[in-house]
Amino acid sequence: MTDRLFPTQEIGSLMKPRWQLLGQRGEPLDTAAQTDFARWNDLLHFVPGDDPMVRKFLGDRSREVGADTVRDWAALFMIRYLEATGLDRVYDGEARRIEMYEYPVRQMRGFQFLGHVRSFDNKYYLKAAGTGEVRLDRPYHVEEFEFVRDHAKATPKLPITGPYTLADWSYNEYYLRRHEGWKGPEVRRSAQRDFVVEIAKQAIRPTLAALIEKGCKVIQIDEPAAGTHPHEAEIVAEAFNAATEGLDAEFSMHICFSDYRPLFPALLEAKRCTQWAWEFANRDTDGRDGYEILKMFNEYGDTRQIGLGVLDPHRDEVESPERVKDRILRAVKILGDPRRIWVNPDCGLRTRRLDIAYAKLQNMDRGAKLARAEFASRAG
Amino acid sequence: MQTVTSLTGAFPRSEVLVEATRDLDRGRTTPEAVQELVLRTEADVARLEERLGLEPPTGGYLRWQDLFRPFAETWEGFTVGPLTRWFETNQFYRQPILHAPPARVPGAIASWLPPAGKSGPHPRKAILPGPYTFSGLVDNRSGETSEALTHRLGRLLGEEVHELHLAGYTAFQFQQPLLVSHPPEGVRAEAVVAAYKAIETAAAGATTAVWTFFGDAQPSWPLLTRLPVSLVGVDLSETDALKLAPSTERRGLGLGVIDPRTSLVEDPAEVVRLARSIAERHRPSTLWIGPGAPLDLLPWEPATRKLHGLPAVRQGLESLGGGS
Repeated sequence: MTDRLFPTQEIGSLMKPRWQLLGQRGEPLDTAAQTDFARWNDLLHFVPGDDPMVRKFLGDRSREVGADTVRDWAALFMIRYLEATGLDRVYDGEARRIEMYEYPVRQMRGFQFLGHVRSFDNKYYLKAAGTGEVRLDRPYHVEEFEFVRDHAKATPKLPITGPYTLADWSYNEYYLRRHEGWKGPEVRRSAQRDFVVEIAKQAIRPTLAALIEKGCKVIQIDEPAAGTHPHEAEIVAEAFNAATEGLDAEFSMHICFSDYRPLFPALLEAKRCTQWAWEFANRDTDGRDGYEILKMFNEYGDTRQIGLGVLDPHRDEVESPERVKDRILRAVKILGDPRRIWVNPDCGLRTRRLDIAYAKLQNMDRGAKLARAEFASRAG
Repeated sequence: MQTVTSLTGAFPRSEVLVEATRDLDRGRTTPEAVQELVLRTEADVARLEERLGLEPPTGGYLRWQDLFRPFAETWEGFTVGPLTRWFETNQFYRQPILHAPPARVPGAIASWLPPAGKSGPHPRKAILPGPYTFSGLVDNRSGETSEALTHRLGRLLGEEVHELHLAGYTAFQFQQPLLVSHPPEGVRAEAVVAAYKAIETAAAGATTAVWTFFGDAQPSWPLLTRLPVSLVGVDLSETDALKLAPSTERRGLGLGVIDPRTSLVEDPAEVVRLARSIAERHRPSTLWIGPGAPLDLLPWEPATRKLHGLPAVRQGLESLGGGS
C-alpha cells in the first residue's frame, strides 16, 4: 500500500504488439515489427539487446525463439511499460491472455462449448453451457502471476474474471434443469443464483486461494456483466463474498460501461470488496459530469476506496494532465476524503495503439502529481 | 383456432458464416464470397423453416447486423452511431442517430431482405422494428418530439409494408421489446396506437403482428390489446400469460415458447400443456407459436435443436382440438 495520495494503477489489458503476434506464430518479423521491438526495448530495456535469442528474433530466425519465450518477453515488456509510466500497481497487460471468458471456463469441468454467438456486427464469442456441477480442474493464472511477481518492481495487481460474468456469458442448463416445470423469471433467477455462487465457491475461490498462497496480495475481480441485469446485483455481491470468503488479500471489483444507478444499494453488499474500480471518464463528455454518480456512494454511506477511471479507452485523444487533475479533484469534492481515491484508466487500453496508451498513462501520472501538489499547497 | 408455428426474429449465423464474416474483417476473403454464402445460408434457413412447418418463412435475417441497421444506413436523416447494449443481453447494436425527420427510400429495405429463392421457399414474413422501439432507441436529434417521431415512423413503416406486400410478403411482424421493458403512458401510448393505425391502413389485409420480449407484457397489456394488429405476441419466459386479461374482441395471440437465453431444450409436452391453458383463457382466432425472443442469442446448432421441438408442439395443440 502506498502512503501518497492518489496512487495510480492499471486496470486491464493492453494491445498486443505485432512482434508478439508474429513471434508466437513463428513467423518472421517484418520491418515494422522489428523497428517497434527495438524502439520499445531502447526505451524500456525489457530484454538484453545483445542476447543471442533476441538477435535471432530480430533476424529471420524467430521460429527458433519459440512461442513461450516470446510470451515471456511480451509480459516483461508490458510490466516495464506500465512501470515506466509511474504506476504504483501493475500487471503484465494480460499479455498471455487472449480473452477473459473462454480460458477460465476451459479450466473448469461442468461446461460444454456450444458455438459462436454474435456480440455485434461480425464480432462473436464462443459460448459454453453449464451442463454439470461446476468443478475446478486446476487453479489458473498462477504461473502468470508468479512471473509478474518475480519481475515487477511495482506491486502486482492481478485481474481475474468474476463468477457472475462467467455465468452470465454462459448458458445455464444444469442448474435450470434442477427446477421442474415451466422456467419463468423466478425459476431462472433462482437457477442463475445457484450457478453463479457455485462458480464462485468451486472455481474462483480455490483459484484465488492458490494465487494468494503464491504471494498475490491485490486482486481485481472483473465483473463487466454486472450491469447487464441490474436486478441481479445482489447475486453479484453474494458471489463476490463467496469467492473471497476467508481469504486475505485486497479485493476490488471492476465494472465498466454500465448504468450504475440501479446497482445501488444491492451491490454494496459485496462486503469483502475494498475498492470499486469503475469507468467514469467515458461519460464525462458533452457537458455531462461523469463523476456525479459518485454521489450515490455518499447517499448510501459507503466509504470504500474508489478506483477512479480518468482515461477514456475509446478515444485516441490523450487526456491532458490538467484534465486528469480536474477529474481527481472533482471526485474529491464529492467524496470528501482524498485518501479513498486510486487513479486508473476506465478500463483496459487494449483498443488503443501502444504509443497512445503510453502517452495517456504518462499524463495520468502527471495529473495525479498535479492533484497531489494542489493538496500539498493547501496543507502548506 | 388455427395454430401456426413461426420464427419470430433473427436466426443465428452458421459457424461457416461466422468464420467467413470474420475472414472478411481480416481481409482474408471477399465481400462477394461472403454475400454468396449469406444467400446460401438464408436459403438453408428458409428450407429448415419449411421442413419444420414454420410459416411464413423468413430466411433468418442473417445479413442484418442489428434490427435498425438497414434503416440507419439507407433512410434519409440517419447516421450509424455508437455501440449500445441491446437490452439485458451481451449483444450490442449501433444506435441510429437521427439528425432530421426521417424519410424513407423506396426499395432500400427490400434490398436487405432475401430475394425470391430459386431453389428454396421464398421468404414471405418481414420482421421490422416496431415504431415505439425504433423511436425510443434512436439518438433523436431531429427536433421532433418522441411522440411525433413514433407516429411518423408508423407512417413510414406502413409505406414499407405496402411496398413489401406488393413484392409478395404476406405477414409483417414488428419487434417491440421497448413496449414491455419501458411501457409508454399518456400521449406516448396514444402515439403508439396512431402509428399502428397507419400501419394497419397500409397493410390492406396482410397479417400484422406485434411481438414483445425482454420484459413482462402485463403492464402494457391494456395498450397492446388496443393496437389494430392481427395478433400480439408475448415471451412466456417473461410474461405469465394466464394473468393477462382476455381481449374483448377475438383476435390472434402469439406465444414465445422457446427461450433463447438458455440452450436447454424445452419439453414439447410441457409447452403444449401451458399453451393449451393459455389458449383456453384467451380463445384466440389464431395461435402463433415461436421463439420468445430472437434466436440469435444462441449459436446455430442449439438454436436449430430447440426449433425442432416446435412441430411436436403444433401437433400436440392440434390433437387436443386446437387445430384449424
